[in-house]
Amino acid sequence: MAVVGFEEFRDKAFEAAKAQGCDAAEVYYVESERFTVKVLEQEIDSYSVSKSEGLGLRVKLAGKDGYAYTELLDEPEKLVARAADNAKVIESSDDHPMQTKCEYQQIIQPENPLTELSEKEKIALAKELERRCLEVDPRVKRVSHNLFSSYSAKVKIYNTLGLAAENSEKGCYCYVSPVMEENGEIHEGMSFRFGAKSAETKECAEEAVAEAAAQFGASPVAAGEYRVLLRNDAAADLLDTFSGMFSAERAQKGMSPLAGKEGEAIAVTGLTVVDDPLYPEFPRAFDDEGTPSEKTVVVENGRLNSLLHNLKTAQKAGVRSTSNAGRASAASPVDVAPSNFYIVPGEKNFDELVEQLGNGLVITEISGLHSGANAYTGDFSLLAKGRLVEKGTAVRAVERITVAGSWLNLMKNIEEIGADLKFGIPGGSCIGSPSLLIKGLMVSGK
Amino acid sequence: MISKNMAEAVLEKALCEGADFSELYIEDTESNSIEMTDGTVKDAVSSRRHGAGIRVFSGTKSAYAYTANTSEKALLETAKAAAAALECAGNTSTALFEVKTYGAAPELAMGDIDNEARIAVMKKANSAARSYSDDVKQTVIRLMETDQRVMICNSEGVWAEDRRPRIRLAVQAIASGENGTQTGSDSPGFSMGFEVFRDKIDPESCGKEAARVAVTMLHAPECPAGYLPVIIDGGFGGVIFHEACGHSLEATSVSKGNSEFCGKLGQKIAADCVSAVDDGTIAGEWGSIGCDDEGTPSQRNLLIENGILKGYMIDKLGGRRMGMAPTGSSRRQGYSFAPTSRMTNTFILPGNDNAEEMIRSTAEGLYAKKMGGGSVNPLTGEFNFAVAEGYWIRNGEILTPVRGATLVGKGSEVLLHIDRVADKMWMAQGVCGSASGQVPTNVGQPRIRVSEITIGGKGGAL
Repeated sequence: MAVVGFEEFRDKAFEAAKAQGCDAAEVYYVESERFTVKVLEQEIDSYSVSKSEGLGLRVKLAGKDGYAYTELLDEPEKLVARAADNAKVIESSDDHPMQTKCEYQQIIQPENPLTELSEKEKIALAKELERRCLEVDPRVKRVSHNLFSSYSAKVKIYNTLGLAAENSEKGCYCYVSPVMEENGEIHEGMSFRFGAKSAETKECAEEAVAEAAAQFGASPVAAGEYRVLLRNDAAADLLDTFSGMFSAERAQKGMSPLAGKEGEAIAVTGLTVVDDPLYPEFPRAFDDEGTPSEKTVVVENGRLNSLLHNLKTAQKAGVRSTSNAGRASAASPVDVAPSNFYIVPGEKNFDELVEQLGNGLVITEISGLHSGANAYTGDFSLLAKGRLVEKGTAVRAVERITVAGSWLNLMKNIEEIGADLKFGIPGGSCIGSPSLLIKGLMVSGK
Repeated sequence: MISKNMAEAVLEKALCEGADFSELYIEDTESNSIEMTDGTVKDAVSSRRHGAGIRVFSGTKSAYAYTANTSEKALLETAKAAAAALECAGNTSTALFEVKTYGAAPELAMGDIDNEARIAVMKKANSAARSYSDDVKQTVIRLMETDQRVMICNSEGVWAEDRRPRIRLAVQAIASGENGTQTGSDSPGFSMGFEVFRDKIDPESCGKEAARVAVTMLHAPECPAGYLPVIIDGGFGGVIFHEACGHSLEATSVSKGNSEFCGKLGQKIAADCVSAVDDGTIAGEWGSIGCDDEGTPSQRNLLIENGILKGYMIDKLGGRRMGMAPTGSSRRQGYSFAPTSRMTNTFILPGNDNAEEMIRSTAEGLYAKKMGGGSVNPLTGEFNFAVAEGYWIRNGEILTPVRGATLVGKGSEVLLHIDRVADKMWMAQGVCGSASGQVPTNVGQPRIRVSEITIGGKGGAL
């Protein structure tokens, strides 16, 4: 059969699902366009334009879910047959309901005139970002990464129970890594901007260069326990790594140390964590199974208030979905994922926190998160960079140290929460944190 | 996948703005993945990825465009979009050679196997893990299969087709008790079909191995920090070479001056006992490919010989920047990525040392029997690896297993500090993420010793 459009394929797949004995069927369709330009030495280093589409089919057969995905919309019957085959082997007895027809809030995306720029103008912005980095400081010899990317995406979720949800979004971001050299020392900084701020090349360049410059003269510190100020971006990376703990799916599989802890104190009373899909910077009307967006207070004043739920985990736990159904891609089954997930900021600015730190370490960057952090237990041991602080003043740069601890203990050892909430590079989820002053973490150096 | 005339038309369209090279890549990949948690099948997913990528060069400038739609109209539009990115002069016409076919269908292809056979394999692994010890409280088992068919043609006349079946059984055992929770895993994979379970993989020993690591680590104290000798076993121990050295030998880093090994060909970069290769030609191995994703036949590339840097891994564009020939090392996850230089099966070659002697002759140090994942900054070579299964050595003997260790250092320093290389090499499987997406790679080495390296950990004195 020939390739057809989405609507025709969807209708044929729903008919085929019925004919093949399925109780229900759902399609999750994504269509996107992307433009990315990388500029190095004022030349286009790489340039990519794309159009992609993919359709994930989910069928319900005798109470079990089966999935199949295709990027070629040519044979709906075959796709249904593959999904039905997969449903037949599921042994889990958990029922995963499908969403029915819902009303959605009107979402107002933040204004972003940059999405209307021509490709030439986008290329010019990338060139400008590189040039700015080189202008800021003579020690900047080159940039290793420098890109501007814009995208538009449409998501359509329909099922045989009447669900009809459509959403489209546009966005853009820039990212730059300047490389600085002096006296044989080489350091790299990094900064990014998204949305309308992607045109703020000066600020972005200055931040990235300052980041690299601050690393000169870095060396390890003696091993021991230190008071640590996790700067907002490093804290957000760490929260991102452990955000899976708050998933009810993980908890119900017995893979989260927070399972069954609802209502218990898990952190200092100053800590409040929320998941807000309507957060103005990255709002969305519904989650990946079409449930209308709602804000969830996950940790309230140190007490675990609610885990994140989709329709399946909510039914099992006897609660409502928190609108946190997530699919890693259209090809992936429905799981649980945070939306805009962040630690609610406090009142002190970064300099005040450094002063309060007194003697200790500011950690500005952590790496090795996919290997040095155990998402099941919360234990981490991570390569880190930052600065040594004495009497409230940064005295020198620090690198090649590892900070080790446990996320569960860390949440109980927060002394102060900053006002400087910052989100990481947005992906399927946006994770944000202010800077966090931690009473003690083990550090190993040389 | 596409007629010769149509391919030529697309390649020529891509040259219409004056590019000096164009390339068309078409991919059709089917995959299956089944996940079993605690012996119960929770997820079963099938997918089919299908699309095309078109790349053009003008000198060292490149542009890439891709589309999920492979109709003639869509391909021509995509070719035009790629062409439009380059403003240059010159014109070339295209005539394709005869097709050269590399990989073939496996003995037992994905379509010949039913889900029951898959689940039977997974259940064997599960019961072996569960029955190993009462400490094993959970298991997660995944069986992943892909069958990738690619066609690559370019304006130099290359027309290559490759078929890359791959299969992997990933077993994770989670042990918990009074001492917290620890995980262990064993995840063998090959470039084969389902016959792998007759010829190569025994699901029961996978289950047992994953459980053994989890249980051993459950009863292990935290590793102390230090700056000491470390013995790293073969198999996944090779990840240290992959991350700390291999990535810095990819043209992606070298051609742009982002590697500490730039301009060091012929120079000593490692201890004399270290020789290493990247070899994509080994039949059936997880990282092997018939041809690379630019249509160049796969080859065995000598990287380091007796400590001397002998070669890099080079793709076409990197080769243009470096003035060197491609080495069959260009790879991509799929059509949504432009290809670039990547590793295949990368390993340190066997040396002359005795595996036991290197423990006996270590007064105090760490024996990293199994490594976890890691990451590295290619600019500086700074790396960070987790040790999945470690043992503390004192006075030439193993004192106790230790958990939570990490190894931190610089690639260039570690290579020079290798003072023992044992005589037997083995490999383990990984999925390497980089600029051109996720690609299957093997890492490997014999047991080696590094004379000193920073060990991270939060334990007290043992």
